Amino acid sequence: MSAAARLHALLWGVFSLGGFIAAFLLPVLIYVNNIAYPLGLWPVTSRDPTSLIVTDQIIGSLFVFVTVAGSLFHGVFRFTATLGELGLKDHVERIVSVGYAVIAVGILALLYYLLTLNPGFVNMVLHLLGPR
Amino acid sequence: MSQKKEYPELPRKKLGPGWWLGNRHYTVYMVRELTSFFVAVFCILYIYQVVVLASAPGSYSQYLDLLRNPVMIGFSVVALGFTLFHAFTWFFLIGKVQPLKFWGWTSTPVQSLIINTVLLVAISLVIIDLFFMGR
Repeated sequence: MSAAARLHALLWGVFSLGGFIAAFLLPVLIYVNNIAYPLGLWPVTSRDPTSLIVTDQIIGSLFVFVTVAGSLFHGVFRFTATLGELGLKDHVERIVSVGYAVIAVGILALLYYLLTLNPGFVNMVLHLLGPR
Repeated sequence: MSQKKEYPELPRKKLGPGWWLGNRHYTVYMVRELTSFFVAVFCILYIYQVVVLASAPGSYSQYLDLLRNPVMIGFSVVALGFTLFHAFTWFFLIGKVQPLKFWGWTSTPVQSLIINTVLLVAISLVIIDLFFMGR
């Protein structure tokens, strides 16, 4: 298998994983942060849900990172592929390149600012990346 | 790009941008694919929220006011609806692509949809209990 084919298979694997994440974890984040909080619905929190989970809890930062990064990859990857089926097939390579740029910038920005907000998350990431 | 393609594309009929509107199955397929737009936009907005929270805490309250804007709430309700539509159709497809097999019994797509929907509700309740209840 060529390196390009292996990379292609890897990207589709990550896309599939992102599909599971978007299906199981994203709905609750959309509901709590963007619907329940502004409308004062259950579960009512003392602060806004995002500052509550990304500043106080390491596991909360991990949840936000996995959910948003996985869903972003899945959503952008699928949307750029769909544009090819909507008559933009001639531009699909350029569109896919822009899509990968959005994914990379988005994930790096998310990781950087989550690390800034929660120093404990830094230690956990270093621990995970460190030598065994 | 002079290299010969390993798998040359077969000639096929050129389809217009609205090819999927003429058949109900194609329309459902394309609506399902377009739900990814809302997933992507929500994620970009959420990343922006985290960036504002971390880099400009003074203007974070303005972003929270934006979340209370009826247009934003409307967008969020639509995004949630499309995300759930994506989830349910995904669960159904899992049951078609990879049915479970135990002792001669094979699961159906509808059973996969029901089991995964119960799992989705359970996971959502655990997340709410873990991160938000009583905080």
